[in-house]
Amino acid sequence: METLLNPSKTPNLFIPKTHLFKPYFLHSNFNPQPHSSFNRRPLSITITCKVKTSQGRKNDGKNISKKIVLTDSAPELSNEEIKAKPKGGGKAWGVIKKFPKRVLAILSNLPLAIGEMFTVAGLMALGTAIDQGESPEYYFQKYPEENPIFGFFTWRWVLTLGFDHMFSSPVFLGTLILLGTSLMACTYTTQIPLVKVARRWSFLQSADSIRKQEFSDTLPQASVSDLGVILMGAGYEVFLKGPSLYAFKGLAGRFAPIGVHLAMLLIMAGGTLSATGSFRGSVTVPQGLNFVMGDVLGPTGFLSTPTEAFNTEVHVNKFYMDYYDSGEVSQFHTDLSLFDMNGKEVMRKTLSVNDPLRYGGITIYQTNWSFSALQILKDGEGPFNLAMAPLTINGDKKLFGTFLLVGDTDSSNVKGISMLARDLQSIVLYDKQGKFAGVRRPNSKLPIEIDGTKIVIVDAIGSSGLDLKTDPGVPAVYAGFGALMLTTCISYLSHAQIWALQDGTTVIVGGKTNRAKAEFPDEMNRLLDQVPEIVESSISKKPDNIGG
Amino acid sequence: MIFSTLEHILTHISFSVISIVITIHFLTLFLLVDEVVGLYDSSEKGMVVTFFCITGLLVTRWIYSGHFPLSDLYESLIFLSWGFSLIHMVSYLKFKKRKNNLSAITAPSVIFTQGFTTSGLLTKMHQSAILAAALQSQWLMMHVSMMVLGYAALLCGSLLSVALLVITFRKAIKIIGENNNFSFSFGKIQYMNERSNVLLNTYFLSSKNYYRYQLTQQLDRWSYRIISLGFIFLTVRILLGAVWANEAWGSYCNWDPKETWAFITWTVFAIYFYTRTNTNLEGVNSALVASMGFLIIWICYFGVNLLGIGLHSYGSFTLN
Repeated sequence: METLLNPSKTPNLFIPKTHLFKPYFLHSNFNPQPHSSFNRRPLSITITCKVKTSQGRKNDGKNISKKIVLTDSAPELSNEEIKAKPKGGGKAWGVIKKFPKRVLAILSNLPLAIGEMFTVAGLMALGTAIDQGESPEYYFQKYPEENPIFGFFTWRWVLTLGFDHMFSSPVFLGTLILLGTSLMACTYTTQIPLVKVARRWSFLQSADSIRKQEFSDTLPQASVSDLGVILMGAGYEVFLKGPSLYAFKGLAGRFAPIGVHLAMLLIMAGGTLSATGSFRGSVTVPQGLNFVMGDVLGPTGFLSTPTEAFNTEVHVNKFYMDYYDSGEVSQFHTDLSLFDMNGKEVMRKTLSVNDPLRYGGITIYQTNWSFSALQILKDGEGPFNLAMAPLTINGDKKLFGTFLLVGDTDSSNVKGISMLARDLQSIVLYDKQGKFAGVRRPNSKLPIEIDGTKIVIVDAIGSSGLDLKTDPGVPAVYAGFGALMLTTCISYLSHAQIWALQDGTTVIVGGKTNRAKAEFPDEMNRLLDQVPEIVESSISKKPDNIGG
Repeated sequence: MIFSTLEHILTHISFSVISIVITIHFLTLFLLVDEVVGLYDSSEKGMVVTFFCITGLLVTRWIYSGHFPLSDLYESLIFLSWGFSLIHMVSYLKFKKRKNNLSAITAPSVIFTQGFTTSGLLTKMHQSAILAAALQSQWLMMHVSMMVLGYAALLCGSLLSVALLVITFRKAIKIIGENNNFSFSFGKIQYMNERSNVLLNTYFLSSKNYYRYQLTQQLDRWSYRIISLGFIFLTVRILLGAVWANEAWGSYCNWDPKETWAFITWTVFAIYFYTRTNTNLEGVNSALVASMGFLIIWICYFGVNLLGIGLHSYGSFTLN
């Protein structure tokens, strides 16, 4: 942290060399100008000075001019900070102009925002308690009118308010939109002015106003410039003008809450885009067959427009599963080839559950699987494909079965050989009476003799369950996620401001911070202890531990 | 084979040490021994031993099963008790000088979580199970570890807020804190608040109001800091979960119960922070919100798993 004191062209103004936060300032727009419409202070002095920075990446060599406004007191934070509209037009225009201001004032009310957040939370909780997406008869049964829960909650409530599809119902979405507008209003009216105030450099000229700060102290026999050096060593940005000093640290902590709000708005906007502009579809394709993407994908909202990539044909080359030693399934794989309209193979990839395929904005996920058919040889004839039907589906545990007719097919009491399978690696066979006959693996090609019929399991043909999706909102949402994570972390930086005034030989110091209020006095005391005491008689002794 | 025996040994050691530590805490309460400092040191050493035991337990499970030890409810509970002991260790190392109230919350939390997991309720789940296909991903480590650490931090913070509330409304509730009788029919929370109350009574017999104010201020500050940390973890966990869901299932927002309740938890703690920005509502009101957050975390963690539905059904179990 090598910050040096560098006298610039203007005398009595020490402008130190900068570190990371400074370039941000130099590009910003300093608002308090005497001729602007929202500066109402009666007396203001503008000083223009030139600053050279050593780390000016964007402005090498150019001189940036800044304006510093010296005021008599700290600038007031008032509702006048809301952008004053230019005075024009007649009275009706004035009333219309006032309306947004009032709406803004109402929307940015904090208790309202808190109430909205509670409502959103409550609705979401209700959405998990009530089963979603069922048919109306289900709700008639579950919340009957004859026996209402809590005395009033019947199916009428559920269906009219849209609680059966809570997360796309107007009530929920309306509350979310209201929350979004509250966020925007709050950012505009409260946070931006706070930032403007925080960024203004104001020197406090009277000792009383310094003493009124949250933390204040008096250092006898000290000099302000020594304090400035110590503070710079501790990472503060220090500005000295004559006897008064102003230092701050951690301004990013003031910007970050705005960043949090903006990130949340970005996420909401991206989510809205996803909800209205994406395509979704799912398909179960037996091994060896094809499908065209456009046939499978269906739009979800009014902004969905198909792209050229929808004409791609997908061919399932192979579907197979990996197993643990215990026999449980460990992973599903599908080998896919993509062909464009001319039949040329544009992509070939093997998907698995956490590893989707991406092509032309469309993503294909492995989400499901099924057993399509069992290929067998019966008494040397065949191969016959027996379609497998799902018997019980319990999450990842599935059971498929098929039935091979044996004997007299015309009689009313048909009998046959049943074959059951949980996965593609072993088939369990049962005879005509339903007794267990044996287990065969498709690759083994070992025949099994059941009731006089010789069966050879040739192959187990699986089908791959694929979900296709295209989602234009994802980049916005991901950007919002990253920004949210970053700005949440940054918003914990505390913004500390310190003022000091040289009064004869004593220095009066005052400061305040917005976050780490408990540690601030300790940190201040530590820093102030390092300020050297000026001994009258001889040269001022500087102790060795000046910050650096 | 050696790993499973090692695991057993470590589990039993950690449980026994924890029991000894809590016994020491009881003794200091009951007998009001004056060499509290010496006992305090040994209880702190006991916590250090526990921390290392639980770490060893987790590492052993990791090596033995080949996957990061966070695939089902039992493992996540062990991880949770590790999280509590980690918070305890960090606060102990950072503030060596003085006893802090945080230890009153973290130590019993570790005990009870550890005790619950190793108790008979979940014996079926002790052996490490194989990982389902959807869980075999790098995201598992990041997402679930953030989740459990976030839970640990938020639970600590919420408990501190509950303690604050109880102390503030002590007269209204009339807890039996004056004498040292307390029965286990009260919950764990009451116990800890009584401990703080009893400490208050025994050490600061005069100027009760002033010291109570000091205590509430300290609790408030600690609660704020811990909840801030937990909030960061919670945010990161929700966002990582959404990104992982997008990679695996095709959509970053499926509104399944676990995700929804995670979002509700996030909203409630965001309300906590908002109530603190306005200094009128600071103090008691924010503590109320944090206490609500405590209940909601348990619903999110256990309640949803009891339902056993939705895409997050890996952690489900049924009480029998």
